[in-house]
Amino acid sequence: MLPALIKKELLALIRDVHGLAALFLMPALFIIIMSLALKDVYSPAIKSLPYVVDNRDSGQLALTLLAEWEKRHGKPQASSPQTGSAGWVDEVRNGKLGYALVIEKDFSRTLATSQLADTIQVRLITDPGQEAGIFAANKAELVMIATEMRAQALLAAARMASRPAGADAGESMKEPDLAVAVSAQKLVEAERLAAGPRPTAVQQNVPAWLVFGMFFVVASLANLFLQERQCGALARLASLGVPTSMMIWSKALPYLAINGLQAALMLAVGVWLMPLLGGDALSLAGIHWGALLLVLLAVSMAAIGLALALASLVRTHAQASAVGPTINILMAAIGGVMVPKFVMPDFMQRLAEFSPMNWGLEGMLAVLLRGSDLAGVLQPTAKLMGFATVMIIIAVLFFRRRVS
Amino acid sequence: MLEISNISYCYSHAEKPALAGVSLSAGRGQILGLLGPNGAGKTTLISHLSGMLSVQQGSISIDGQPLAVIRRNTPARIAVAPQEYAFYPMLTVKENLECFASAGGLGGSRKRQRMADCMAFAQLERFARTRAERLSGGLKRRLNLAIALLPEPEVILLDEPTVGVDPQSRAFLLDAVKMLANNGATMIYTSHYMEEIEAIADRVVIIDGGKVLREGTLNELLTEGMAHVRLAVDGVAAVQLKAVLGNFGTAEAAGDEWWVMLDPGQMPTALLAAVEKAGGKVRQAEFGRNNLEQLFMALTHHSLRD
Repeated sequence: MLPALIKKELLALIRDVHGLAALFLMPALFIIIMSLALKDVYSPAIKSLPYVVDNRDSGQLALTLLAEWEKRHGKPQASSPQTGSAGWVDEVRNGKLGYALVIEKDFSRTLATSQLADTIQVRLITDPGQEAGIFAANKAELVMIATEMRAQALLAAARMASRPAGADAGESMKEPDLAVAVSAQKLVEAERLAAGPRPTAVQQNVPAWLVFGMFFVVASLANLFLQERQCGALARLASLGVPTSMMIWSKALPYLAINGLQAALMLAVGVWLMPLLGGDALSLAGIHWGALLLVLLAVSMAAIGLALALASLVRTHAQASAVGPTINILMAAIGGVMVPKFVMPDFMQRLAEFSPMNWGLEGMLAVLLRGSDLAGVLQPTAKLMGFATVMIIIAVLFFRRRVS
Repeated sequence: MLEISNISYCYSHAEKPALAGVSLSAGRGQILGLLGPNGAGKTTLISHLSGMLSVQQGSISIDGQPLAVIRRNTPARIAVAPQEYAFYPMLTVKENLECFASAGGLGGSRKRQRMADCMAFAQLERFARTRAERLSGGLKRRLNLAIALLPEPEVILLDEPTVGVDPQSRAFLLDAVKMLANNGATMIYTSHYMEEIEAIADRVVIIDGGKVLREGTLNELLTEGMAHVRLAVDGVAAVQLKAVLGNFGTAEAAGDEWWVMLDPGQMPTALLAAVEKAGGKVRQAEFGRNNLEQLFMALTHHSLRD
């Protein structure tokens, strides 16, 4: 009896293609995607971050520092030695450049003087969303290079001062001046390019999982649609003359409201609940609310569009239950929801740009971390709206066929 | 008056047409019984009337107006109560009626009135607040019918409306169908239950393979030259007996009995006399007229429940 029942179970399993895909294909894909995404976690891509140099100093020491930095971090994307910061600010703010290395005009002179002035001479201005580890490592490296250069400069000056013409080196050696500070730390400053909140786990996770959650309407909408379709209720509505467009809107609008509620709830959790649990609070101070609403609307439209297209394409509940969540999880894994995009290697970061969840996440991070306004979120929202349009066209094309 | 004239329909990638030159008509206040085995073309025909399929060839009209025009301007004139429970199981009876009433373009006091009327007609008042998924099979059928009646349609298509219901609900539904016809609606009723069709249909259409095999009143169909004789004979070889019986109609052996469908004008007395003349001794004989099921089987070579 047992063998017969086991055989039945295996046959049922083998014939459930979607179940098998969920059992075998999804974990395999996950291993591939997550391994590739986390490839550089233990060797961060500090060295490969794109950067720009803004050198306002004409002295030799500035060039030496830049040469040393270039040796360690590769060539800069661009240099703007005379025009000041205007050219790179936007690119650093929106994350296209990792940071800007700004050398003030008195750097060379100040570095070699025995008494350090309190004026900052080297600035590391970073992407507002730059991960704390990379931020700290770059700053420490910059301080270290500047200090080394200062030490060499002071040493050279001391040698020159202690070696008058014709004097014996051994006789003229003086005691070192212990009051001279060797460290160049006072000259170096690192800052994120925004007045907004600094990146924290909450600041990264709330937008990421909010986008993920909003896309989860896919399974719910698709299953309800299938239920209506299979029982003939949709055919009945069609026979009563209800237009296809109205049927689609009647599905889209409630889920738009649900996505809105999800957003309000998730943001509230970040703002009020997380501090109560001992975590960082999500900061919404100074954000552009219009931009936030635009991004949320675009994410919602994309999620609903995908849900409608999927609902129109699948034939069974099994398909909807397997395909919807699988697409969501893969989009999340690729798109920077599960693993922040900045820790991914280059090619995975490029791949992430194909995930609608990444467009939504980039839009949210632009608002919440970079303080972007409507113009600043135009690109991700345009992508999301375009995706939503394509999905809705697919849904309309297949909807009527499925209804009948 | 519903007039279906010579319609044909072929699904894409299908080898044979689902409908091939089907013509039939049904007047106001008339119940048209539609019979056919599975795959005969009934669903395709109903899908045309409900607007799910557009006419490829032929025409369908109601009171002289093309169906496409009616579906575009006043789709609620035709209602379908499909075989499935075509409503929302998670909604209550009242919420379902409200949803489909609004979808049918009803509003305000007229909507409330029609909801109340249909709920009363289907005797669902007690279940107004019950979720549809918790109703019994019979009550679900009644709700299916009540929803179809909301916009006061002129043509009502009922697809297997009594499948899976208890005898009381079946009797209720059949009475309801007769009442709707008496009130002037054109009813098209498909069923696998022959006795239901015999009980309520004014006209019967038998279709199979996408073609109308017979159409007429019940009486016309049952008297259409389909008298038969069933007999058991001793003393004559089967070959010889078949030749004798073949002179009177189509003869087939069924075990030790013979089944003869008499040709028009042939009399059973003459058949019995011929058998005796050939040396046969009639052990048992039965003469009668075909019932609908026998006629159906003779025409389609299917059982209705195939």
